Parts: sequence; structure tokens; C-alpha cells
Amino acid sequence: MEAAHANDTWQHWFEAYGPKLLFCARQWTRSLADAEDIVQEAFVRYWRHQRQLPGDPQALIITSIRRAAIDHARRETRRSVREEKADGGLEERDSIFVPQPGDDAERRGEIEAALQQLPLEQREVLVLKIWNELTFEQIAETLAIPPNTAASRYRYALTALRKALKPVCHG
Amino acid sequence: MDESFHELEAELKSLQPRAPSAHLMRGIADELPSAPATAPRARLRYTTSTNLRSWKWLGWRAAGLAAAAAVIATAGLMTLKRIKAPVAGALVTQVVANNPPPSETSSLRDDYQPVAATNVLYDLKDEGLVKTGDNSDARRVRYRYLDTYTWKSPKNNASLKWSVPRDEIRLVSATLN
Repeated sequence: MEAAHANDTWQHWFEAYGPKLLFCARQWTRSLADAEDIVQEAFVRYWRHQRQLPGDPQALIITSIRRAAIDHARRETRRSVREEKADGGLEERDSIFVPQPGDDAERRGEIEAALQQLPLEQREVLVLKIWNELTFEQIAETLAIPPNTAASRYRYALTALRKALKPVCHG
Repeated sequence: MDESFHELEAELKSLQPRAPSAHLMRGIADELPSAPATAPRARLRYTTSTNLRSWKWLGWRAAGLAAAAAVIATAGLMTLKRIKAPVAGALVTQVVANNPPPSETSSLRDDYQPVAATNVLYDLKDEGLVKTGDNSDARRVRYRYLDTYTWKSPKNNASLKWSVPRDEIRLVSATLN
């Protein structure tokens, strides 16, 4: 997180950390548009009112994002039920990762699919650990679970991913 | 963590999440037009200093000035009490002229002695990186104190207490050299 301190505007900071926050929010929302709304709400609230709080800014914003996502989900529950009945419950499928030069698009797609298959409780820990680089203690605080539980869920998520991707890795 | 996961973790970390859309950036920009353009940073913990430029020494230096100000203010009050005498306005002017403040001030100064000066640090805020005169980086840190000075009269044990907020801005070198 120290790297963020080298940046001197919210735009620079958000360009560096926005993708991670958005990916994080995406775990708790049904669509990318919802995730963006929630990131905007949480980030603006943090920037206006919570910047002087002690602690890691990224962890604070993620906590704020999660709370906003939970509130949003409660508001949208009835609408979601109607949509599930209408469209069969399919979630919006938008690409999670940015294509990199020379990467394997097929492999990237399989990883995305494998991530989608993980239980939410495992996927959220994995995203916070891998892409947001939080410690298990910070993850535990964010998700209101014991650190050992966070570590266990992370291990289960990696095990499940390895199992799902193994045929591709060695095939 | 299981070492056998390292390869998978490295592969996952190599994947970059998609960037926020321009719509999201515009939305935030619309809501933060007047916010100070400073990056979020962890708040500094309380620190103190023992050198001669510490706030403790500044406080005692300021105490002398504060004492003088308080004595003058008290002298003014005493003078006002005197001119409340039931006399005509012209006579009041004469009374004031015949009792110049310096003698009164001198008397009060003898009566009241400074006995205590305290500084309470109630807020500490890191205001970000700035450039100093020699173009080196420094962090501007604002310390907010409540200074309280107390005087006491040995004659009648009366005390006078004066509290005033004070902001102190320090530039702390941001380089290790």
C-alpha cells in the first residue's frame, strides 16, 4: 500500500487501485454496472469522510465496498428475484481480466470460469488475497471471520481451482 | 501456505483485473470536484520530541507572552471598575489620566505569578508531501494543541487560567539522507 502514497491525486490513486477494488466489488454484485456504482459510492464516501482514519486505506475502502454491496443486495432482492424468473437466473457474464500481450486467451477464460464456480465465501477470500494483496488478518477483519477461517477458505479455493484447471495444465 | 500452490498463485497474480470504465471515473470526478487532491495515507501515530525546538519549550516561551497579555487584560478590567465611579464624563477622563495603566500593570504583575503551563496534543494530521526551499521532499504534519497557562496570586490565592488552541506545522524530511 505504500506505493499509493507516491501518487498525489485521487485520480492517480484510483487508476492504480481501481481495477482491484472493482474486481473485489464484482464478487458481491450481480453485474459490472452494480459493482461500479458501489465502488463509486464507497470511494467517494471514503475520500470525503474517512481518509483520516488510521489503517490501510485499501482495506478500509474494501470494507466500505462490502457493506455497500450488502446494502445494495438487500435493496435489489425483490428486483433480482423477478429477473431470475425472467432470464433463468443467469448472471451478467463480463470479462474479468484484461488480455495481456502473449497470454493464452483460452486459459484465461478457463480460469475465469473456474473462479465463477467457486463458492462465494472462497472466491472473496481468494480475490482479496491474490489481487488486493491483503493479509489474512485484514481479510478476516473485512469479512468478520477469524483469520484461520480466512486462511482455510483460501486453501480450499486454491485446491478447487487446481483441480478444475489441472487437465489444462498437464494435458 | 502449501508450496505446491506457488505456481498457481503466480499464474493468478499475473492476470490483471479490468480497469474501471470512463463512466465510473467521470462519476467520481463529478462527486469530488472540490476535494483536496491528496492521496489516502495511513495516519501518523503520536510522536514527541525532546530537542529544544519541541513544543514543550515553545509552550514555555509562549507562556511569558501569554502572561503579559493576561496581566494587561486584567489591568484593563480594574481600570474599567474605577471609571464606573459616579462622576461626570470629564472627570472620568481625568481619573484615567491620573492613574496610568503602567503602574497598575506593574502591581498586578507582582501579584500574579505563573505557576503552570500545559500543552495537550489533541489532533495530528499528515497533510502530505511538499517541496522545501532546497527542492527536497518533506511531509507537512499539522499538530493541534490546547495550551493552558495558570497564574496565581500568593496574596489571596486567586488564580487565573487561560486556554488557547494552537496549530503547529512541522516539515519532516521525507528522505533518509
